[in-house]
Amino acid sequence: MTTREFDGVQLERVREFVWEIPQENGMGVPARVLASEALLEQIGDDKTLRQLKNAAHLPGMTGHAICMPDGHQGYGFPVGGVGATDAETGCISPGAVGYDINCGVRMMTTSLTYDDVRGREEELVEALFANVASGLGGGGVIDGDMDTVEAILERGVDWAVEAGWAVHDDLEHCEDEGRRPDADPGAVSQKAKDRGKNQLGSLGSGNHFLEIQRVTDVYRDDVADAYGLEPDRIVVLIHCGSRGLGHQTCTDYLRKIEKRHGDVLADLPDKELAAAPAGSELAKDYYGAMCACINFAWVNRQLIMHRTRQVFERVFDRSWEEMGMSLLYDVAHNIVKKERHRVDNEKRELYVHRKGATRAFPAGHPEVPAAYRDVGQPIIIPGSMGAGSYVLRGGDESMERTFGSTAHGAGRLMSRTQAKQEFWGETVQDELRDQNHVYVKAQSGATVAEEAPGVYKDVDEVVRVSDALGIGDRVARTYPVCNIKG
Amino acid sequence: MTFELRSHTADVAVSATGATLGEAFAAAADGLAAATCDDIPDAGGRFSLTVRAEGPEALLFDYLDRLIYERDVRGVLPADNEATIHENENADGWVIEATARGVPLGAVDAREVKAVTYSEMRIDRVDDGWEAYVVLDV
Repeated sequence: MTTREFDGVQLERVREFVWEIPQENGMGVPARVLASEALLEQIGDDKTLRQLKNAAHLPGMTGHAICMPDGHQGYGFPVGGVGATDAETGCISPGAVGYDINCGVRMMTTSLTYDDVRGREEELVEALFANVASGLGGGGVIDGDMDTVEAILERGVDWAVEAGWAVHDDLEHCEDEGRRPDADPGAVSQKAKDRGKNQLGSLGSGNHFLEIQRVTDVYRDDVADAYGLEPDRIVVLIHCGSRGLGHQTCTDYLRKIEKRHGDVLADLPDKELAAAPAGSELAKDYYGAMCACINFAWVNRQLIMHRTRQVFERVFDRSWEEMGMSLLYDVAHNIVKKERHRVDNEKRELYVHRKGATRAFPAGHPEVPAAYRDVGQPIIIPGSMGAGSYVLRGGDESMERTFGSTAHGAGRLMSRTQAKQEFWGETVQDELRDQNHVYVKAQSGATVAEEAPGVYKDVDEVVRVSDALGIGDRVARTYPVCNIKG
Repeated sequence: MTFELRSHTADVAVSATGATLGEAFAAAADGLAAATCDDIPDAGGRFSLTVRAEGPEALLFDYLDRLIYERDVRGVLPADNEATIHENENADGWVIEATARGVPLGAVDAREVKAVTYSEMRIDRVDDGWEAYVVLDV
């Protein structure tokens, strides 16, 4: 048997791209890493594997604690981690979702081609930057009040349709039709709402961005056709989350659970994994609050998408409908959801925590929107500014292997502090423009340096592993044209 | 009191020291500001805050969380932090009395720190005072 060891953590090769950390010392289940040799070397280089072992301690864990091919060290639960706990006897852990609840990605397709945009990149990037709030303290697409925040938390994208920021077609191409039925706005604190009020329709900063991209490759014609993707077409990718409202909600519940369920925490190796037992009042409250934050994040991305339509209308002097600007799909990659999965030949209700991992339901699954049920759920994997992104579809093996999940991006390789020593924001911007024809505009040069293409893992390799394992199949590849960020 | 920003794959860690626990916490808060912004201008007025928690780690967590909240709600970057800490016999017996200079966000090129985390948090007494280590979610 092939084995590997990184910093005292032993892994056994189960089959190609599947590595197992045996169950030991307090782990409720074994852990698995889905990676090629090259990716495993990178995953083993920081504390990812130790954090994955820690995650396997959560009460009621089922199957395996799993690390996706783009996994890297986070706080508590690793980024790229998937953990399913029993919804009756297990637990729910805010730290296994992350602070940015429903951080996610949406892609909008258009009928424009690269030729329509070429030569107008600077105009487009300036117009987007001027009209979509990014960075810190820049407000949002709309000036919200508390009633608006409450309505968004309760009704999600339904609110946006009524307020003129979405059309019905957008609902049909969003998970849960853009509204989480379990949302409980009353479980979201006033502090969280205070923070969200000023940020309705804003990107934030860090690795969040809005990108105009062109489709460069199509790998599965039938699926690409169903998704409205063909070579040379322009698409828009938006990556952001629930902003301060979600960050505060995670913080609030982490502290409440730490205080109320200290007995559970005493058996966990990291305080950041604090968990509320399934069925407890705090498990119910956190789940309701988190679902409300999911609604908030969907509306946040919807507002930015609709504002982008308006910007395109001004730049190209045509209506957005004429330019075929339609939502392809919106995926969450920091989330916990109650889902039914087959475990040991028995259907069980589980809390599936995905932190830096994307749901990847295959064709035929009843929770895939009707528009895509025949081909599988779209998955959007954002890459770096220099490497491009991928659209996948949920693979046939995902339910069996990963509780219906796959990767969420390229995965960071280099720390932000090191990136700022290695790269200079302006130089990165100039090189991307002159060598790659990618136009970048950011609030902060430091953000560009921290997000330089060289700080990320090889997204091609991440996607190759996902495709080979049959958890998320390659459909198309896109390459950036313009990028705005905080 | 001093701080250093330390490498972390996805996020940023702050290592802070101070002659007193309050100074170490204030230095960690200055690290939070530095993780947000490279050059902090001399602008903005001071504001004060009081935070209570059940122990020193919880207090550091809640103090930095409060500064992040004030940042978003007041629209200012809390800088030049000063703090004193005392302990009493109440349930939330650890108390920090702090002040900060609120630099208007419009005056800085700032990027967002999302939250404070407990991950790898350490608060240690050392020969000449206190050390605190905290990972911030960026």
